[in-house]
Amino acid sequence: MSATEIRGRFDTASFDEDDSDVVVIVGSGPGGGTLAHELCERGIRCVVLEAGPHLTAEDYVQDEWEAFNQMAWLDPRTTSGSFRLAKDFPNLPAWTVKAVGGTATHWAGATPRFKAHEFRTASTYGEVDGATLLDWPISLEDLEPYYDRAEEKMGVTHKNGRPPLPANNNFKVMGNGAAELGYRHIATGPYATNSVPYDGRPATVQDGFNFQGDKQESKWSPLVSELPKAALTGNLDLRAGSHVVQITHDARGRADGVLYLDEDGGLHRQKARAVCVAGNAIETARLLLLSDSPLFPDGLANSSGQVGRNYMRHLTASVYGTFDREVHMYRGETMAGVVADESRHDTDRGFAGGYYMQLISLGVPFMAAFVDPGGWGPDFTRIMDGYASTAGMWLVGEDMPQATNRVTLDGGMTDAHGLPVPHVHFDDHPNDVAMREHAWTQGTKVYEAVGATNVKRTPPYPSTHNIGTCRMSARPEDGVVDEWGRAHDVPNLFVSDGSQFTTGAAANPTLTIVALGIRQAEHIAAEIGRGAL
Amino acid sequence: MATTESTAGATSLTSPASRTLLKDVARAMFPHPSFPDAPYEHAVGTILAAAEADVRLRAQLEQGLRDVDVVGGAPFAELDDAARLDVLRSIEGTAFFEHVRTRLVTGLYDQAPVWDLLGYQGPCPDGDGYLKRGFADLDWLPDPQVEDPHRDEIVR
Repeated sequence: MSATEIRGRFDTASFDEDDSDVVVIVGSGPGGGTLAHELCERGIRCVVLEAGPHLTAEDYVQDEWEAFNQMAWLDPRTTSGSFRLAKDFPNLPAWTVKAVGGTATHWAGATPRFKAHEFRTASTYGEVDGATLLDWPISLEDLEPYYDRAEEKMGVTHKNGRPPLPANNNFKVMGNGAAELGYRHIATGPYATNSVPYDGRPATVQDGFNFQGDKQESKWSPLVSELPKAALTGNLDLRAGSHVVQITHDARGRADGVLYLDEDGGLHRQKARAVCVAGNAIETARLLLLSDSPLFPDGLANSSGQVGRNYMRHLTASVYGTFDREVHMYRGETMAGVVADESRHDTDRGFAGGYYMQLISLGVPFMAAFVDPGGWGPDFTRIMDGYASTAGMWLVGEDMPQATNRVTLDGGMTDAHGLPVPHVHFDDHPNDVAMREHAWTQGTKVYEAVGATNVKRTPPYPSTHNIGTCRMSARPEDGVVDEWGRAHDVPNLFVSDGSQFTTGAAANPTLTIVALGIRQAEHIAAEIGRGAL
Repeated sequence: MATTESTAGATSLTSPASRTLLKDVARAMFPHPSFPDAPYEHAVGTILAAAEADVRLRAQLEQGLRDVDVVGGAPFAELDDAARLDVLRSIEGTAFFEHVRTRLVTGLYDQAPVWDLLGYQGPCPDGDGYLKRGFADLDWLPDPQVEDPHRDEIVR
């Protein structure tokens, strides 16, 4: 690949720090990147502040630990609660990315839409003890036109004539097992990696390194799509290595800029007409809490006390089946396979909400780290010895929002900048436990149906789906933002990532984050157009 | 300035005997009969290198390696596989054990020779993926459907 062909490498305009006409967007992932592109196309100048470096295809490495250390958000975090991650990975509750393009440079590409009832969980599921279920202020019908546009942006397979990805070895095992079990909704997508050339980017060569960035740029991410397109408009100023430490406000309580640190620790102030926060659920909540002031003593936009609460991370679990013949699950797109039958809401199974079975594969280094955290001895090495004959699936489903599952500021630990680190408290809800048990059992049956000799139930990995800490609500007392992602308390402050999800649904969140980003951009542009922002 | 400052060389950790003992512990903790000694020796090398910059790790290794030679009633090297496993089970959860386990689970399996031994092909050179290297060569099952003809029943 010659240097000029790298889509992810681009330069942007440079706007003045005292220019108070710009919209400041904190974070360049699927939320912030999409919002920036949509606003720039409408002639609105944006400053995107990204804490991480500007990595591109030529920086990425096809080596799991090296890539992890290059890309992952490794600033310290602390944990508590009964969820197993607090024991297995106490300082790594989430596996997000600190780089331009955000966690979408790490994602695999699964893009199911939310279902109609998943916007109305309080109405549909009824009272669930201990859960803070709430209906979204918007419906599937409201979001469907934006889902259509998001899928076009992302080149989602199986949609609008785009062909499906072919079955890889790992999918052959899951797909056949699922069919044997009587499941019907089996496919290799929808999936936001090119099965054929699309949008100037090539078709996948099936190298299997999806969590490590994408050297081919066949996978959609803001790095290779939204941000370079925004740059072409001349309306984007992307500043990598810029860690926002506070959102500032004027005497009326309107956001008027941000303070951020550059890579050398120099403190800058960027003025803004509006501030949009898209730092992924943990950091977004942390930034609002860090932005407390005499006017907002409990954190910015937190009169409801809801900032940081209702943190969700999806069910997540995995099943690995070992066979007496070879599989080589790591060859090809990591998650290009889904069984959707269990995604329905059907309380006869003993829980509310649903889950998907999706492909997953790990290389040997990560298999060792994650298949059985804490494991050792012959039981552990037997799993590793079966590596080449192992198939893997990930189980992703809706988890219950709980007020006490919460991101707060750690009172004792600070990061390299001296800022309090985020503390993540999470207890599994009984509904989550029941769903995980069901999913493990069904996943086991899938593999046993095609002759598995051994099946391993793997607990959750550090969370890649982090949602709900600034939830959307019709009433200001129930949440942090309104149906547009606009803070109930601060009229020119927006939340633009998965933090705004009222509830989590079963689906992987990225497609919905992008759809909400397009919708929010339309709203912001209209508000600016009528002089209200 | 005192001349008695502690260095890695001031401990017995770098002695050949310590290396061999830690290698035996590694093999007992992650037993792969098909593996030669080299990957274990490499992983042990990464632990000892880390210990040079980590006094807590060095101290834990110093005492822990002495302990594994006594808790089984005989030097670790003289125990059979089952007895070695018993020794490790008896110290599971100690700081020494966790220091060694967590570093081994990374250090042992993050090596290309181990990938070869386990049948993992790792990176794809030169921009080629697995498309031409067997990404769909599994032939003991039929080809499953890749599109869901009943999608409309479940999608909303």
